[in-house]
Amino acid sequence: MSRWTTQELCTSLSAAFGADNVEEIPTADEAIQVVLPDLGDLGITIAVTDRQLFVSTPLVEAAQVRDRAGFNEACMRLNPINPLSNLGLTTINGRDTYIVFGELSPDATADQLELEIHTLADNALDAIEALKPYLTSSEATA
Amino acid sequence: MSILTKIFTLLRGGATEAGQAVVDANALRILDQEIRDAGNELTRSKQELTKVMAQRQLLAGKSADRMAKRAEYEGYIAGALRKGDEALAREVAERLAAVENDLSTDAQTLATYDDSINALKSAIKQTEHKLTRVKQQIDTVKATEAVQRAQGAVASRSAGANGKVGTALDSLERIQARQAERGARMQAAAQLEAESGDSDLNARLANAGLLPQSASVDNILERFRNQDKPVQQLSHEPQRALPAATPADAERQSRS
Repeated sequence: MSRWTTQELCTSLSAAFGADNVEEIPTADEAIQVVLPDLGDLGITIAVTDRQLFVSTPLVEAAQVRDRAGFNEACMRLNPINPLSNLGLTTINGRDTYIVFGELSPDATADQLELEIHTLADNALDAIEALKPYLTSSEATA
Repeated sequence: MSILTKIFTLLRGGATEAGQAVVDANALRILDQEIRDAGNELTRSKQELTKVMAQRQLLAGKSADRMAKRAEYEGYIAGALRKGDEALAREVAERLAAVENDLSTDAQTLATYDDSINALKSAIKQTEHKLTRVKQQIDTVKATEAVQRAQGAVASRSAGANGKVGTALDSLERIQARQAERGARMQAAAQLEAESGDSDLNARLANAGLLPQSASVDNILERFRNQDKPVQQLSHEPQRALPAATPADAERQSRS
C-alpha cells in the first residue's frame, strides 16, 4: 500500500512547487498535474497506485517526428543513459505521443518525489533537444 | 503466451482499431482473468498439497508400525533359532519377508509423496510470484491509464479543445523563446544604460561647467569677477561666442 493518498501528495507537492502550480485533475482515476514555470510550463503528471508512484510527461507528438525509425532508435539508445527516467510511446486523446516517465516506490519520500519530478523534467527537455534533428521543423507544425 | 505478450498484442490491435480505451479495458480484463486463474491455481495447489501431505503422514505411520513389526519378528526368529526350532523360525521369516516387502514399497511411495510435495510447494511459490507480478502489471497499466487520462483532460482543457497535449518540445521552444526575449531585453537594457550613462555624464560635466555650452553658476560668477566689462557680458550674445575668458576656461574647454 502506498503511504500517500492523492490528497496528501497534492498538499506535499503544493508546498514544494507552489499551490498555483499543483492541481488534482478531476478524472475517473486520481492524478495530479504539476506545472514547472521555470521550465517552459512543462506539465508533469503523477498517479498514485497501491504499488507505485507513476510520474510522466509528454515528450513530443509522434506526428511531429519526421523520421520515426531514426527517432525510435535514438530513443532506445538514449534510454539506458537517462537517469531515473524511461522513454516510451503511448496514446493521449487518440494521438500517438512519446512520453518520458518514471516509477517510484509507493514508500518514496516527498524529497525523493520532488527530485524525481525535477529530474524527469530536465531529462525530457534534454531528450527533446537531443532528438530535435528527427523532428519536423517547428514552423511546419505550428 | 506470457501476460505481457497478450497485452502487447492487444495494444497493437487496439491502437489501429478503436483507440486506447478498448486497449486498456481489454488489457485490464485479461490481467483480471490472469489473477483469477492464478488464484484458482493457487487454491488447487494448496488443497493438493494438503492432501498429499496427509497421505504421506498416514503412510509414514503405517510404515512405522511395520518397522515395529519387523523388529518384533526379528526377535522371534532369533529366539526360535536359539531354541533350534527351525520350522518356527522359517514360518516367522516368511511373515518378515512380507513385512520387508511392504516396507520397501512404503519407502518408494514415501519418496514419491516427497517429490510431489516439493513440486507442489515450488508450484505454489511460482504461482504466488506470478500473482504478485500480474498485480504489479495491473497496477502499472492502471497508473499509465490514469496518467494518460489526466494528460488528455489537461490537453482538452487548455489547448482550445483540439486535444493537443503540451509536450517537452513545446516547453523547450517556450524556454528558447523566453531566452531569446530575455537576451534581446538585456541587450536593449544595456544599450539604454549606455545612453543614459552618457547623458548622466554629460549632465555632470555640464554641472561642473566643463561642457562648451555649459553655464554653471560658478563659471558665470567667475566670468563676472575676471572680466573688465561685466555688463556687456549680460547681452544676448550666445555664450559660445565668447572666447575663452580665462586661461582656466580655455583649458577646460579644450578638455571637454
